[in-house]
Amino acid sequence: MQEWANQLCENRQFGSKMTDSKYFTTTKKGEIFELKAELNSDKKEKKKEAVKKVIASMTVGKDVSALFPDVVNCMQTDNLELKKLVYLYLMNYAKSQPDMAIMAVNTFVKDCEDLNPLIRALAVRTMGCIRVDKITEYLCEPLRKCLKDEDPYVRKTAAVCVAKLHDINAQLVEDQGFLDTLKDLISDSNPMVVANAVAALSEIAESHPNSNLLDLNPQTINKLLTALNECTEWGQIFILDCLANYSPRDDRESQSICERVTPRLSHANSAVVLSAVKVLMKFMEMLPKDLDYYGTLLKKLAPPLVTLLSAEPELQYVALRNINLIVQRRPEILKHEMKVFFVKYNDPIYVKLEKLDIMIRLASQANIAQVLAELKEYATEVDVDFVRKAVRAIGRCAIKVEQSAERCVSTLLDLIQTKVNYVVQEAIVVIKDIFRKYPNKYESVIATLCEHLESLDEPEARAAMIWIVGEYAERIDNADELLESFLEGFHDESTQVQLQLLTAIVKLFLKKPTETQELVQQVLSLATQDSDNPDLRDRGYIYWRLLSTDPVAAKEVVLAEKPLISEETDLIEPTLLEELICHIGTLASVYHKPPSAFVEGSRGVQHKRLTSSAGSGESVESPDTGSAAVSEAPPAVIPSQGDLLGDLLNLDLTPPTSTGPPPSAAPGMQLGAMDLLGGGLDSLLGGDIGGSPAMGAAFGAPPAAMPASFNAPISGGLDDLFDLGGGGMTMGTYIPPKTVWLPAMKAKGLEISGTFVRRSGVIQMEMTLNNKAMSVMSDFAIQFNRNSFGLAPAGPLQILTPISPNQSIEAALPLSTVGPVMKMEPLNNLQVAVKNNIDVFYFSCQYPISMLFLEDGKMERQVFLATWKDIPNENESQFQIKDCHLNSDAASNKLQGSNIFTIAKRTVEGQDMLYQSMKLTNGIWVLAELRVQAGNPNYTISLKCRAPEVSQCVFQNYETVLKN
Amino acid sequence: MISQLFILSSKGDSLIYKDSSVRGEAGSDVINVFYEKVMALPGDQPPVVMNHGDLHFVHVRQGGLYWVATTTADSSPFSLIEFLNRLASLVKDYCGALTEKAVQMNFALIYELLDEVVDYGYVQSMSSDVLKNFIQTEAVSPRPFSLFQLSNVGLFGAETQQSKVAPSSAASRPIQSSREQGGKSEIFVDVIERMSVVIGSNGVLMKADVEGEIKVKCYMPNCSEMRIGLNEEFSIGKSQLRGYGAAVRVDEVSFHQAVKLDEFDSSRILRLSPSQGEQTVMQYQLSDVLPSAPPFRLFPTVERDSAGKLLMYLKLRCDLPPKSAAINLCASVPVPKGSVSMSLQLSSPDQSAALQLQTRSIEWTVPRFPGGTQLSALFKVEVPGLSPSSLMEVGPMVLNFELPKMTASGLQVRFLRLSPVQPGPAQRWVRYVTHSDSYILRI
Repeated sequence: MQEWANQLCENRQFGSKMTDSKYFTTTKKGEIFELKAELNSDKKEKKKEAVKKVIASMTVGKDVSALFPDVVNCMQTDNLELKKLVYLYLMNYAKSQPDMAIMAVNTFVKDCEDLNPLIRALAVRTMGCIRVDKITEYLCEPLRKCLKDEDPYVRKTAAVCVAKLHDINAQLVEDQGFLDTLKDLISDSNPMVVANAVAALSEIAESHPNSNLLDLNPQTINKLLTALNECTEWGQIFILDCLANYSPRDDRESQSICERVTPRLSHANSAVVLSAVKVLMKFMEMLPKDLDYYGTLLKKLAPPLVTLLSAEPELQYVALRNINLIVQRRPEILKHEMKVFFVKYNDPIYVKLEKLDIMIRLASQANIAQVLAELKEYATEVDVDFVRKAVRAIGRCAIKVEQSAERCVSTLLDLIQTKVNYVVQEAIVVIKDIFRKYPNKYESVIATLCEHLESLDEPEARAAMIWIVGEYAERIDNADELLESFLEGFHDESTQVQLQLLTAIVKLFLKKPTETQELVQQVLSLATQDSDNPDLRDRGYIYWRLLSTDPVAAKEVVLAEKPLISEETDLIEPTLLEELICHIGTLASVYHKPPSAFVEGSRGVQHKRLTSSAGSGESVESPDTGSAAVSEAPPAVIPSQGDLLGDLLNLDLTPPTSTGPPPSAAPGMQLGAMDLLGGGLDSLLGGDIGGSPAMGAAFGAPPAAMPASFNAPISGGLDDLFDLGGGGMTMGTYIPPKTVWLPAMKAKGLEISGTFVRRSGVIQMEMTLNNKAMSVMSDFAIQFNRNSFGLAPAGPLQILTPISPNQSIEAALPLSTVGPVMKMEPLNNLQVAVKNNIDVFYFSCQYPISMLFLEDGKMERQVFLATWKDIPNENESQFQIKDCHLNSDAASNKLQGSNIFTIAKRTVEGQDMLYQSMKLTNGIWVLAELRVQAGNPNYTISLKCRAPEVSQCVFQNYETVLKN
Repeated sequence: MISQLFILSSKGDSLIYKDSSVRGEAGSDVINVFYEKVMALPGDQPPVVMNHGDLHFVHVRQGGLYWVATTTADSSPFSLIEFLNRLASLVKDYCGALTEKAVQMNFALIYELLDEVVDYGYVQSMSSDVLKNFIQTEAVSPRPFSLFQLSNVGLFGAETQQSKVAPSSAASRPIQSSREQGGKSEIFVDVIERMSVVIGSNGVLMKADVEGEIKVKCYMPNCSEMRIGLNEEFSIGKSQLRGYGAAVRVDEVSFHQAVKLDEFDSSRILRLSPSQGEQTVMQYQLSDVLPSAPPFRLFPTVERDSAGKLLMYLKLRCDLPPKSAAINLCASVPVPKGSVSMSLQLSSPDQSAALQLQTRSIEWTVPRFPGGTQLSALFKVEVPGLSPSSLMEVGPMVLNFELPKMTASGLQVRFLRLSPVQPGPAQRWVRYVTHSDSYILRI
């Protein structure tokens, strides 16, 4: 055997060197001929060796499918080793040789009945791997037997086989009732079987998101928890991942699950640990924070996370990515563990960078001295990328922990003294940010910075330095000379530097107008006439016009006080963070992207979200977080360095006027608050609207080129903003087509079909009465049973003429909502009695709940925010709307026709979120968050309402409106 | 869930390829895609997860081979990495060694293993105890096994040459061949610790961590149970103080799931039925506190002499107990940019030192450094245009060393009992070693 394996090596090497295909094919033919002979040999040993050789060729990519019949002939043997080899071959080639594969079926079926459980399992395992449709039918009977086999090894293999078969032919699996058998296996006595059944069910359930296959209830959860203690580590992973999808009913249940999962944290397998962490992080949300157990749990989570950092670098990296998420969500878990994140000199660079990031997130007043000492050491290391990041980290510390700012600045100055080029440049970039956070505190260092002007060769550092010179021009004696020196090579600079240089010189001019007139003219003409960059040109023109029209206003605009920058500019967006926390320990947590972003869409990935306990007072939902941020963090978040366009907008956002508070101050502030909800688009709109009166005043008469919308009345602009493309584009109410409510068979020839309509605030029931009997019908009257929303006829049924046979007549019945109320099932069910001269007939019908949505169902934004926050989270329900191909604007329009009003829209990473409200006739408000992802036909909708029972109905209504 | 699994040689040749789930159509060109991606990887990018369209690669390198798993779903990279590492050690257990040749020769065995270990991408079981019931193929050894082949001296360095310590190659043999050879029954218990220390420029111990593990390598098919007794004063966690004396304390412990802990709380005994081959029985760690003084301290003087040269006088003291010694010590000190040459004076002849221009550092090596002694070195480095701020670029010193027959935590194996009592001369080996993981002395 050794000999031919060696030969194999040589062949391979030969093959890779020689590309002469002719030579190669001739040998192969000879080889195959030889193998054929050996396969048909009488001696078992020889056969076995031959099959091995065939498989060896297969591994290195040679085509040995020609030997299929010969190999299959070897299958009927009692030698297990040989049999296994043949099965291996079969798996590989059955797809390309389906007809041949049929030949093997008999042996499969026979082997499934073999006395040896190993052979039974082998057969059932292999059969499932052969994706040939013709085979699947033969598979069902043996599989059914094996699922009930006495040997657990066979059962666990059969459980997996169901998943395989489902992938080939889902319908068949359902028809044959294998899913039920699989569900039964969850209660199997053997934990390995349970684990595989859970794994198979989880996977099948993924392709049917709403099927409730894995019917998780307290009983099954209990079974799973029991199996958890007994099965192998890999089985534990399946079970824990499955548990993570369960939503406990209350905090007691969640605590008891946590208690039973906690022992997994000390498992040696890091995958088990992380899956357990995921379950705990998720269920912890349900626990009240004042509970003792909550504190205990927090303490228990730290050691296993720390342990992960002693693993191989690959695992460390994955662990750090996860810890990064955990630290953002619950910094308290690791707040005392700063030291474990100090880098080791022999860590790979990607581990070092991640550790650095976590160090900053954990930095606080208590540990800042330690952190700074470390960072300073890192800044003198050899690796350039790491050093850069370390220097930046020092700056971030200064911004995050105010008490440390002074020390950070002096550390940075020390580093600048090393004159190591990239260190100096990074230091200048971060010092710029420090200036913005603590104005008028550290400007004494400017002189030192200016000494290093020449050595800066990176655009970011140059731009930062220019910003500093412009901003503090009055304190730098030779500011004009410095800026002039940059101006010489203006066209060779990057856009970033050009923009900054333009702004800095304008600032300089406004501060020292007498000496710098020439300079400013020079830069304005460079920017507007000699540049083909539209951003630069536009900014140049804006400055130019400002300066020439009203220098005082220009001063107020350009030199306006800037909002302070906030410490954490790189936090993950809260909704995304929540989703990622639900995916701890998976690829999503490594990429820091939701699974929908990288897993093929067809799998029906569900967005997972955390559910938090009632009254914990903690903000979890996105609008909540937005409003919390408003109250807790007064300094507005503005884009960090480099985003100059944003800079400009922010300047405009705070309109400065000399004549007392401008009339737009109130809406302006309101807009600022809404900004967080409304996102980029709104802030742009808001900026214009908020800024326009002030700017208009400043410009005096608006230039002719000013777009017309600037002149529009402010109130109109605000309305526009609120309507978001509503107005004239409204598409009208969706009216469901008439359906037959009362078939003629049941009503002695009277057929009633109908629908409901809401027209300008009036609800109508529109019916077609069709006489299919032989006699004339007359004397119609109608009555409703009590129903959920008190619908009642507002007047008698107006059918004035009798209906003759085969005649049909249209009738419209106006409805009121003041009738007697009784809750129906389903909620929108209406029981109707119709009388005529023949008899009384009863039928029931369902009305679209949008009939009940009032025209004034548009909530104020603030009210929306407050209400959303106020409604407890358990009242929230989430649904998926599938296969809807509208974009968010079209959807918003359509919905508006049904009195579902869009209050705000925001776009995060290509995902549009529409915040909507509607009001029912009985005064119930329903709030909705509709998430639309470009290119993904599946929408996610979250509904919040004080009466959660209406959610289902509202969702159905969304679905019908959007799809018609 | 695993879609495909493959093992590649360092040159990118496919040794083993298995479409383990038969999901999807992705052909074997994924191997080429993977290899190109790995080769094109820049240094600062984590090689852990790479994606190519919908396909995500997770790989580890063991024994010079690439062990790669692919997946299309949002599965757990932890389980994939754990799985690949376990697979590598399983293959090592079965084939005796982890080399390209061993994998090639035993491909049939490896395919059979893979069949049992993963079904449709779900990991089933990786315990060699369970697997031995199913595996039929015999391993082929790449070379005749010889206990006395000493060329392969690995982990235990120079000390392994001594007669009382088993050579490390003794443990690299296929677990199954012991059946037919009826060879020696042997059991190895290794206590391996890695030490991370940072000592500040003022001599203050800033960080000290120890990560340790107890590994059992068992080649004793008829051993049904073994009991490993640890120090009786062994305690876990920060709060458990057990009086004074020589308590051995660690912060966090995790055990292999086969370990039974019923006697652990009372008498610190680990009970297990060892599987054939290698397994990590216990892992532990200790942070912030060392039971004894850190083994090395540095007393540096760095200055610029009148001639503009960089003058470094380094005194290194070994604080180990006098009977112990560190071996293969290598100290590396970064020097300022632009250093050209160096003259040096060392305190004893067996040491050596050189200026490495590529890494911009001085490498100072000491083959053996007994406890309680002190070494010194004077380096004069020629740096044109040396400025006072360049002195900041000197340091920190990084030490690499090995402490044979020692554990930094003080953990000891009190006894090792096997049952049933082994007939004949059963060999039981207990070995200790501490490595430096990241030992930094700041200047």
